[in-house]
Amino acid sequence: MSLDAQILQSLRAAGPGAVSGAELSHRLKVSRAAIWSRVEALRCLGYDIQAGPHLGYRLVSVPDVLHADDLRSRLDKTQVIGRQIQVFQETTSTNDVVEKLARDGVQEGAVVFAEAQTRGRGRRGRKWVSPANKGLWFSVLLRPPLHPAEATQLTIASATALRRAIQTEAGLEASIKWPNDILIRGRKAAGILSELKAELDQIRYVILGIGVDVNLNHADFPADLRTQATSLKAELGREVARPDLAVAILKELDRDYSRIRRGHFAALAAEWEEHCETLGHEVVIQLAERRVEGRAETLAEDGALLVRTDHGHLERIVGGDVTVTVSHQGAR
Amino acid sequence: MAVLLTRTIIAVDLKDIKAIIDLMKKNSVSEFELEKPDFKIRLKRGNNGAGPAPGEEPPPAMTYVQPPVLVAPPPMPSVPPITNELEIKSPMIGTFYRAPPPDSAPYIEVGMEVNRETVVCIIEAMKVMNEIKAEAKGVITQVLVENARPVEFGQSLFKLRPS
Repeated sequence: MSLDAQILQSLRAAGPGAVSGAELSHRLKVSRAAIWSRVEALRCLGYDIQAGPHLGYRLVSVPDVLHADDLRSRLDKTQVIGRQIQVFQETTSTNDVVEKLARDGVQEGAVVFAEAQTRGRGRRGRKWVSPANKGLWFSVLLRPPLHPAEATQLTIASATALRRAIQTEAGLEASIKWPNDILIRGRKAAGILSELKAELDQIRYVILGIGVDVNLNHADFPADLRTQATSLKAELGREVARPDLAVAILKELDRDYSRIRRGHFAALAAEWEEHCETLGHEVVIQLAERRVEGRAETLAEDGALLVRTDHGHLERIVGGDVTVTVSHQGAR
Repeated sequence: MAVLLTRTIIAVDLKDIKAIIDLMKKNSVSEFELEKPDFKIRLKRGNNGAGPAPGEEPPPAMTYVQPPVLVAPPPMPSVPPITNELEIKSPMIGTFYRAPPPDSAPYIEVGMEVNRETVVCIIEAMKVMNEIKAEAKGVITQVLVENARPVEFGQSLFKLRPS
């Protein structure tokens, strides 16, 4: 852990209290001058650290920036997801960066954030709008001990984890649109796109690409998305601290990933189903030029959506664009 | 050992036949015949695949391979494959896409040369995008699945002539 992260960790542990320079110096085994110079550097990043001759140092507020070491220091040591974190000011797409890491043999759990993406992408070549410093745009490298056909478990785990983190951190009631969009009051606030490299019988790696619209304003969304997309800020009426949300998401993802690795997928699937608002509604699924219409009846064991078509036939859906044609009744 | 049955064996328990064969072996019996109103069985021990003795009327024979395998069709003579084409298979259930975004050109067309690392298509399963690689060097000779169709695990997607 970097000295910066250690200093922040000590200051956080003191809560509203202060820690003297002498104590920090003793605890972190560096000179008081070194502590002073790092505190100055952190202030430049926007960390508001008060210092007084008899008080010591006190952390008053943290900026809304993603600081890799700081994020890392706030995660549990045993955690797989986030054991290596990088933050880019700007990149094409964090999935591109993580793909490079994956090919270079980096171990699983590496996370790459970008404050802005120039070519953030969604399903089937769609653009994911990722304006600077307003959202969480990141990718996670996983090397799960799963068969390629079981990769859909990760779709489900990422949805449950993201939903819980948003709910606990922002206090917003969030639901899941099949398979793993996160909706707030029926509008999409976060999306996940995974990319898989696999042989016929074994996964080489999976890149979970996650985008959360945290502090975007209405005007930040392209006009054609404004009725379907939302942000946590828009729903809450105030900004959400992105570093706190990032830490919460990485913790929840780690928890669900470990549930999968321990073979506890059934519990995960049940949680997902409980919050999946697509079930019981009329849906339209567009698979390129093919269109399936019917009622989203239930979920298969592997998470596939079973749709009862108008001919009474039960169709198994694993891909495509799902549109819920009847607005859900639970909206408030 | 060749076992020749003159009528359907549906009515008889395979275990019983096996027991008879074992008894024949044990006691060096070379032929066995049993006839009932609706059923007739004749077992004959000899060289593998040996036909009926000359002069005998050849029965409408079925070759009985080995228990507990049910009556198998006559073994096909092993025809050498006309070409040594390989098939590129899907590692998962999902939706097959020939192009990355919908409007772009397909990854590959028939006649294109590919190498091990060439991406030939995408299989999507619940928003997990799986780029499928050719895994072999050669020329694509056939596209077996239409764009945006569901595919099964292990389903063949392309044919490839190795080079």
